[in-house]
Amino acid sequence: MHIRVENLTHVYAPGTPAARTALRGVNLEFGPGERVGIVGPTGSGKSTLVQHIAGLLVPTAGRVLLDGVLAHARTPEARARRHQVGLAFQFPEDQMFELTVFREVAFGPRHLGLDESEIAARVRWALETVGLDPEVFGGRVPLALSGGEMRRVALAGILALRPRVLILDEPTAGLDPRGREDILERLRAWQEETGATLILVSHHLDEIARVVGRVIMMAGGEVVNDGPVRQVLCDPEGLCRANLSPPPGVVLLEALGAAQWPVRMDGWGAEEVAAEIARTWERIRKPDAEPSGS
Amino acid sequence: MAPFIWTRALEYHYVAEDGRSILALRGIDLAIERGEFVALIGPNGSGKSTLARHFNALLVPTAGEVWVDGLLTSDPRHVQAIRQRVGMVFQNPENQIVAGTVEEDVAFGPENMGVPPDEIRQRVDEALEIVGMTDYRHHPPHMLSGGQKQRVAIAGALATRPDCIIFDEPTSMLDSVGRQQVLQTIRRLNAEIGLTVILITQSMDEATLARRVLAMDGGRIVLDGPPEVVLESEEMDRLGLGRPFAAEVARRLRARGIPLPPGLLTVEQLASALCTSV
Repeated sequence: MHIRVENLTHVYAPGTPAARTALRGVNLEFGPGERVGIVGPTGSGKSTLVQHIAGLLVPTAGRVLLDGVLAHARTPEARARRHQVGLAFQFPEDQMFELTVFREVAFGPRHLGLDESEIAARVRWALETVGLDPEVFGGRVPLALSGGEMRRVALAGILALRPRVLILDEPTAGLDPRGREDILERLRAWQEETGATLILVSHHLDEIARVVGRVIMMAGGEVVNDGPVRQVLCDPEGLCRANLSPPPGVVLLEALGAAQWPVRMDGWGAEEVAAEIARTWERIRKPDAEPSGS
Repeated sequence: MAPFIWTRALEYHYVAEDGRSILALRGIDLAIERGEFVALIGPNGSGKSTLARHFNALLVPTAGEVWVDGLLTSDPRHVQAIRQRVGMVFQNPENQIVAGTVEEDVAFGPENMGVPPDEIRQRVDEALEIVGMTDYRHHPPHMLSGGQKQRVAIAGALATRPDCIIFDEPTSMLDSVGRQQVLQTIRRLNAEIGLTVILITQSMDEATLARRVLAMDGGRIVLDGPPEVVLESEEMDRLGLGRPFAAEVARRLRARGIPLPPGLLTVEQLASALCTSV
């Protein structure tokens, strides 16, 4: 699906003393099959923006188009587009209520009016996609699962709707490091398999950087940076302007740069940072050696 | 003198919603002294929060004992005294705010305890001062940022004058600025007023702030020691917890033949060790 955000402005409680402008004239485009991260401090407008993309809010000014159709319109066409956008807020498992995992994941597809065999096939596929064996988990009680398992069930419930756009707000909040890595890896695999658009909203830049190719940085209701993940993450000043901390790898390279180490600032993962430091260390330890490549 | 928190053969057993029987804590023997700063780490479901809830009698053992400041938690007569000594701050600041202004919110705890009004005023003033929120005392809490809300929640816990506060993943819903504000506040409470701090966290970088790290797995404490020892141990890989970022980079640099001392846990420590290595 092609998503177009045009001059989007949103004011909460307009005309009251509590009026607050959450978005100011935002323009953005998302192509089909993009993997995009939206980052920014609390109150920067991230959640308001994604709710507009899902057609849940009516703009104060401007508009959002889903494949050319006004996202919040009350027409059958718009409703059909909105059904193809899956949005999960933080801690989606807080909204689970069914008695078994199978029924929980089947809830959405059943609502779409699919027949039982199609529902069962989708539930199995969705559970496998999030790493839960349908035979083992299908009959379990959702509320008796661990936090990580509940998150997966909630995610499966959305995937079973076969969205063409999936928007997740802090999908890894509250999970342990292994669980975080696994969920992100599975989301990436899901996106590659389906070619859908994946939009991740997060405070944890360095974490989602492994999944997304493009990062949109928001501050004060505006888009302050939009580009390839590497460009956004390796710009400590730009990050600071948006009240975000650079990833520790960037901080480390920056500290060495300040100590006159000729390091290049183009990575943030432990392995690439270690490789860059080791290369530089070899060079400055033997000052008579030819600097390579410059 | 007896430790501030002391557990002996602590076991906790419960029946889950689907009827399965779960042994969440399997024989915990632990002593935490007054004034310690302890980080509690471990995978989801390892028992961290369950253990911490025994420290203020939100849960009582199904076997074994927990003592807090000389009081047995399973004796119902002690529950109020124990909760007064050990406060808690949770993950989501939204769920901890009860009043219309910041100062009313902070006053809620001592009011409930029947503290006289003059003293409540004094406690609220002090608590807001310590967390750096005095300027916001008349603000409605819902207008604050996540980090500010969480500091108000901390002030609320402080106003009951506890000896110890348990922080259960207090930064996991905050942005990086909020995270820094809250972590600095926690560090100051320990260093300046000697508050005993127990910090439950999924971030190994946050765990480096503590002076002692306890790692749990399957209802047991599997590692207990200073951060330099625990956070660099091979066991951390098996637990799937990873390492602090700087420790991970340092390990990869050592493997490439760069001589670095052990115990480099923060970016600052690693950068300065690297600068002295050339």
